[in-house]
Amino acid sequence: MDWTLIIENSLKGLIGINAVYFAIAAIGMNVQFGYAGLLNFGQAGFMACGAYGLGMTAHYFDISFWWGIPLGILFSVLLGLLMGVPTLRLRADYLAIVTIASAEIIRLVVRSVKFKTYFGGSDGINSFAQPFRKVGNSLGIEEADEYGFWPFRFTGRELWTLIVGWILVALLGFFVYKLMKSPWGRVLKAIREDEDAVRSLGKNVYSYKMQALIMGGVIGTISGMVFALDRAAVQPDNYSRDVTFYILTALVLGGVAKVSGSIVGPMMFWGLFTFMDNFLRQVAEDPIHLGNITLMKSTQVGQLNYILIGLTLILLMVYRPQGVFGNRQEMAFDGR
Amino acid sequence: MPALGGSCGQEVDQQVNRSAVSHRFVRWLGAVVAALSVLAFGASSASADDGYQIRIQVKEQFRDATGKTDNQPVAGVTIMVTDAGGVEIGRAETDDKGVAVIPVPAKADYTVTLDEDTLPDGQTLSTASTAVQQVTKDSFITSTKVINFFTGESQGGSQSLFDKLAQRGVNGIRLGLVLAMCSVGLSLIFGTTGLTNFAHGEMVTFGGLIGYLLNVTGMSFLGFLAFIPGVHDDGSFHILLAAPLAIVLGGVFGWALNAGIFLRLRRRGIGLVTQMVLTVGLSILLRNFFLSRFDSRSRPFKEFSLQKAWEIGPVSITPRDFTVSVLSLLILIAVALSLRYTRLGKATRAVSDNPDLASATGIDSERVVRLVWILGGALAAAGGVFRGLDEQVSFDMGGRLLFLMFAGITLGGLGSAFGALVGGFVVGVMVEVASMVVPTELKTTPALLILILVLLFRPQGILGKAQRVG
Repeated sequence: MDWTLIIENSLKGLIGINAVYFAIAAIGMNVQFGYAGLLNFGQAGFMACGAYGLGMTAHYFDISFWWGIPLGILFSVLLGLLMGVPTLRLRADYLAIVTIASAEIIRLVVRSVKFKTYFGGSDGINSFAQPFRKVGNSLGIEEADEYGFWPFRFTGRELWTLIVGWILVALLGFFVYKLMKSPWGRVLKAIREDEDAVRSLGKNVYSYKMQALIMGGVIGTISGMVFALDRAAVQPDNYSRDVTFYILTALVLGGVAKVSGSIVGPMMFWGLFTFMDNFLRQVAEDPIHLGNITLMKSTQVGQLNYILIGLTLILLMVYRPQGVFGNRQEMAFDGR
Repeated sequence: MPALGGSCGQEVDQQVNRSAVSHRFVRWLGAVVAALSVLAFGASSASADDGYQIRIQVKEQFRDATGKTDNQPVAGVTIMVTDAGGVEIGRAETDDKGVAVIPVPAKADYTVTLDEDTLPDGQTLSTASTAVQQVTKDSFITSTKVINFFTGESQGGSQSLFDKLAQRGVNGIRLGLVLAMCSVGLSLIFGTTGLTNFAHGEMVTFGGLIGYLLNVTGMSFLGFLAFIPGVHDDGSFHILLAAPLAIVLGGVFGWALNAGIFLRLRRRGIGLVTQMVLTVGLSILLRNFFLSRFDSRSRPFKEFSLQKAWEIGPVSITPRDFTVSVLSLLILIAVALSLRYTRLGKATRAVSDNPDLASATGIDSERVVRLVWILGGALAAAGGVFRGLDEQVSFDMGGRLLFLMFAGITLGGLGSAFGALVGGFVVGVMVEVASMVVPTELKTTPALLILILVLLFRPQGILGKAQRVG
């Protein structure tokens, strides 16, 4: 067993691009779930908005790459309105149902043959990220060169996205942290605790919830953009329902209603996930048998990892719903 | 919801101290997972066989601006392969590459038929290719025989609008009945406990996969039962035995989920949002477990998978689908009648209406909740088996229905059993009929539209009560 490789990969997973885009998406989800008590199970849909906003500049609109950023944000605001208008006056479950449905429909639409001219079908969109890469090159980070020290070795391409990504994580984290200390944030938390009490103070609860939903969604959109830029490709199946669930798991792992939790959670998630994946793959190089029953083949490692994610989420919800760093007091949003 | 567990829940809460409860919880969770793995290990032995297959490619041919001909794949077209005797070997829908692969048992003569109803609107087969193509035994050069269909702009529909509508309507009724069956449990669980169960789709899959496990894979240690008619020496069951067994096991699964997880959570006073997120984890766990044991192919049951369709007027339906539909209708009527007239049924509706009030009148709400989980699990499993007969069994067959079920129960009124029956049925019919207008690959989109419109204009649904919503 090659422990050096396992440890190296796990440490890289801790700060790698997956942790970055999960962290940004989790910061957004935290605004909705942690602070406002809104169950958004469609974060993947918002991420798709950002990714396709960038991709469509080159693929369909034929405009400068940088227009993709406002375009993606526009998409996600529209999506937020679509999800929020029918549901935010109703109980929390309705939002969960509508968001999960909308995200799935978005995925089906962008991968459909019918709209291939707009979204590129199931192959998605490639070759739109050059302008972004060029900025990195002009700052002296050569795409092909290798930077860093053991275990953190990255190519210039990866490094540039990572730098931008972590700067975004820091900025957005700081922004949300400050926002939640502001009067606006306090109203949001009050809504989570007792909606009626806030309403009796003359606040427009519906509007606050809508703002929170859209803000979380826009942050999710930025996460989708970072991911698309790293891959230099947009693929519809990267925005499936499960992605939302994994982000939720990462968020809950770190801690709900805490900015630090929504950043550390994804890092822990990907550190652990990469560790388990590498470890199990090496263990299962020879299939494991118990009697004549094959317990695990190497092809089943991927699924076993996801089973463990599901189990983690279940156990967290039973024993520590506030997450590792969360505060139990902030978990009072549970009403019928 | 303080009095969720009724009076008994609170007493127990005081008697049993916290750590003991959590200890037992771990044991239970472990037991559930272990039981699952024992139940399903067999399915993995159904490995891929490198038999013969027919690969069908459907392409739209057109001339682009420069006059060159170009191809575009056509997705969602139904292809059927029949053997020389006219018996159906397999049927599949083309994927987004316009490709469908149908395995065939041997080198032989086959007929490949393209269902022209399922072509996107405005397209027909081009004159060069016909809807029915013959494959002869000698044309298999390798194990894969490739068949191409080309479509082009339509010059008037081949079928009248009414005929199309009739066929789609019948397909819709088939889907609607299965959806209604799956949704009842989802809606009743919500009504009695307030929990939106995101793992309900996996309960449907459970039924289908257990049915497959009993019917096709077989469990050799059950071989001693071979004296019973319908049980084979290798421990596999005829589908007529496997289906009821799967339904019973589905009920057991529902009971186990309640007793093993949700009952304990309610006793510990864990909130509904937390429970809802937990069902998400459960859904991830179960789906990937199914995937790891069953892999991602879809497979048919052993019996009744090859059938010649009846042609009744404009509509074609196989005897299997017809029987399944009649059976589901009977099951649904039975469920509706027992909810309406039996004592337990009335108690269920009472708890579903107002748990506190029901407890106050002496109804043991925990007992009702247990019943609802068993009933819901059994009905979901029945839906899974029937769906598996209708289409095929796959690891995410239920997960793909989940969103339609949500649309159905929202339309019918969240928490209302009759609403779920009606709503599920209506959504099923609508989705199929709408596929006359929207491309097949997007045929679930109208369900989202229904969902949003209902929530905007009548959030309590057709049969729900307004007070539930706010």
